[in-house]
Amino acid sequence: MKITLFDIENWREIGTTLARNKTRTFLTAFGIFWGTAMLAMLLGGADGLERKLRSNFDGFASNSAVLFANRRTISYQGFNKGSLWTLTTTDIENMRLIPGIDAVAATNGAGTMVVSSGRNSTTASVQGVDKDFLKAFLPTINAGRFLNESDLQQKAKVVVIGRNVANSLYPAGNAVGQFINVGGIYYKVVGIASQQAEIQINGEKIDNAVTMPLPTLARAFNQGDAVGGVMITAREGYTPSELKPRIIRTIRANHPIHPDDQQALFFFDVSEQFEMLDNLFMGITLLAMFVGIGTLVAGIIGVGNIMWVIVKERTTEIGIRRAIGATPADIVTQILSEGIALTIVAGTAGIVFAVGVLALAQQLFDIKFQIEFTTAMGILAIFVVLGIAASIIPSLKAMKIKPIEAINDK
Amino acid sequence: MITLKDINKTYAGAVPLHVLHDINLHIDRGELVSIMGASGSGKSTLLNILGILDTYDTGEYRLDGHLIRNLSENRAAELRNRLIGFVFQSFNLISYKDAVENVALPLFYQGVSRRKRRILAMEQLDRLGLADRAHHLPGELSGGQKQRVALARALITNPGIILADEPTGALDSKTSKEVIQIFRDLNADLGKTIVIVTHDAGVGRQTNRIIRIVDGRISND
Repeated sequence: MKITLFDIENWREIGTTLARNKTRTFLTAFGIFWGTAMLAMLLGGADGLERKLRSNFDGFASNSAVLFANRRTISYQGFNKGSLWTLTTTDIENMRLIPGIDAVAATNGAGTMVVSSGRNSTTASVQGVDKDFLKAFLPTINAGRFLNESDLQQKAKVVVIGRNVANSLYPAGNAVGQFINVGGIYYKVVGIASQQAEIQINGEKIDNAVTMPLPTLARAFNQGDAVGGVMITAREGYTPSELKPRIIRTIRANHPIHPDDQQALFFFDVSEQFEMLDNLFMGITLLAMFVGIGTLVAGIIGVGNIMWVIVKERTTEIGIRRAIGATPADIVTQILSEGIALTIVAGTAGIVFAVGVLALAQQLFDIKFQIEFTTAMGILAIFVVLGIAASIIPSLKAMKIKPIEAINDK
Repeated sequence: MITLKDINKTYAGAVPLHVLHDINLHIDRGELVSIMGASGSGKSTLLNILGILDTYDTGEYRLDGHLIRNLSENRAAELRNRLIGFVFQSFNLISYKDAVENVALPLFYQGVSRRKRRILAMEQLDRLGLADRAHHLPGELSGGQKQRVALARALITNPGIILADEPTGALDSKTSKEVIQIFRDLNADLGKTIVIVTHDAGVGRQTNRIIRIVDGRISND
C-alpha cells in the first residue's frame, strides 16, 4: 500500500517486531555477527602475520643474495679439506664487472669486542662496510648520518653505532659527534642506526654493531684485503640464482677451490626466500578466504534458514496482517526490512567486535593486525547484500501466505 | 450492502467438494445477521467469501457496490482494510504486540502515523472498556478481553461491515453474552452491518435475522 523501505513507520514496526522477539532476533543476529567477526578477524590476522613476517626483511633489497667463504670440503692444490680461505677485495671488484649484477656490498667483521666512551662501555660487533652497502640493505638512521663515499676514500675514523650501543654508551642521548674507543683507537660517531629486519650481518643486527668504513676496518685490524660477508643485488630482469654460476666462476678463478666443492662458497639467495614468503602468503590468504567464505556461506545459510523458520512460525501472524489489510508487497517489505536491519546491526557489531579483538591481539603480540576501514565496509556490504539475498526466498514464501490459511490454522 | 447471486464454490481435490450451491443472499446496511449451520455446512466458506479472504467459482458478489471478482491481492487487501472488520473465534491477535498496538495495526497498513494510530486505538479500547488494559499483551488478557481487543481492531478503520467467525466459540456463556451484547450495541448505536457465523443457537437468537445453511444451501432465511 503505502509502506516502503524508506518509511519511518515501517522501521518503527520492524524495530518493535525485532525487539519483542528477542530470542529469535538474537539467534538470527548471532549468525551474521559471527560471520562478519570471523571474516574480519581472519583477514586482519592474515594481513598482520604477513606484515610481521615481511618486516623480517625490511630494508633488504629483495632481489639479492648473500655469500661468504666456508671451509673447503675437498682437498685441492695442496689445500687440505677443512682449510680456510677468504674472499678479497679483488673478488668484489671482479664481481662488479658481471653483467646483471647491480651492486656488490662487501662487509667484514672484526668480531665482538668492548667499546667504550668515557666511563661507559659495552660489547659490540665491529664491522666494516663499503660503498654498495646501502644498495643491499637500508638501515633506519635514528640520528646523524650513515657512512658516505668520502669516509671510505679517506679511510676516515668514523663510525655509525647501533641503537643499543648508543643507549649503553650515551644514556643521555648525545652520541653523534662524540668519540668512542674501539680496540684502543678513537672513532668519531657520525650516526645511530637500527633495523626492523631480523636478518643479521656479520652475526649481529646493526642495532648491536659498530659500523665503520671497510678500508678503515682493514687498516685498524690489519686485515689486508680480506672480505667477510658479501651482499649482491641483481639488476632488474635477473635473479641472483641465475647469476650464481657466473659469480662462482669469477671467484674460483681467484682462489684454489676444487671444481666440485659446492660448500666452499656459501650462497644464499634472498629472493628465493621472498618467493617462498610470497607463496606462503598466497597460501595463508587463500586459506583465510576459504575459511572466511565458508563462514560467510554458513552465516548466510543460517540467516536464510532462520528467516525461513520464522516465516513458517509467523504464518498466523502474517495471515492476520493480510486479513486486516496488508498487501503481499507490505509483507515482503516487512520480512526483507527485518533481514536488512538485522544484517546491518549484527554485521556492524561483528566488525566492531573483530576490531576490538584485533586491537587486543595487537597489544599482546606487537603486530599490526588491524583491518582497513575499506575492508571492514567491504565485508559489511557483502553481508548486507547476501543477507538480503538470503531473505528473499523466505519473504517470497511469506508473500504467498493466504490470510485464510492462517486463520484456519487454529 | 452485501449481494450474493448464484454463488458456487467447489474445493478441488481427488473428490471435488461442492461446498456452496447457488447461494443467493442480500444483506442490507445496518442488519444484524447470523449465519448458522452445522460443522461442514459451508458457513465458514461463505464467510470467507464475504470477507474477500476466499474466492468463488461462479456467481456474483457485490460488497458496498464493489464487484468482488478476480481482484488483485493488493485490491483485495485494500478492500478488506477499508470495508471490513474481522473478528475470529481464536481472536487472532498478534501475541508480541500489546492491546493498543494490535488495535492500531490496520491503520499502519493505511499509512497512518504512529501517533495518530495510537490515539485512535486508545479511543476504540476506551469505548470497549479496555483503556486500563491497553499495554497488556494478549497472553495477559482473559478470553472476553481478547475478543474485545479484536473487536476494537475490527472497528478502528470504521468499516461498514463486521464479519465475525464464531466470535463466542472460545468463550464461556457469561462472556459470550457480554460480547454479543457489544455486537448488538454496535449495530444499534453505530449502525454497523454485522454478520456472525455461529453454530450456537443462543447467539443466533440474539440477532435480528438467521440464515441457516445446510449442505451448502440456504435452507431457511
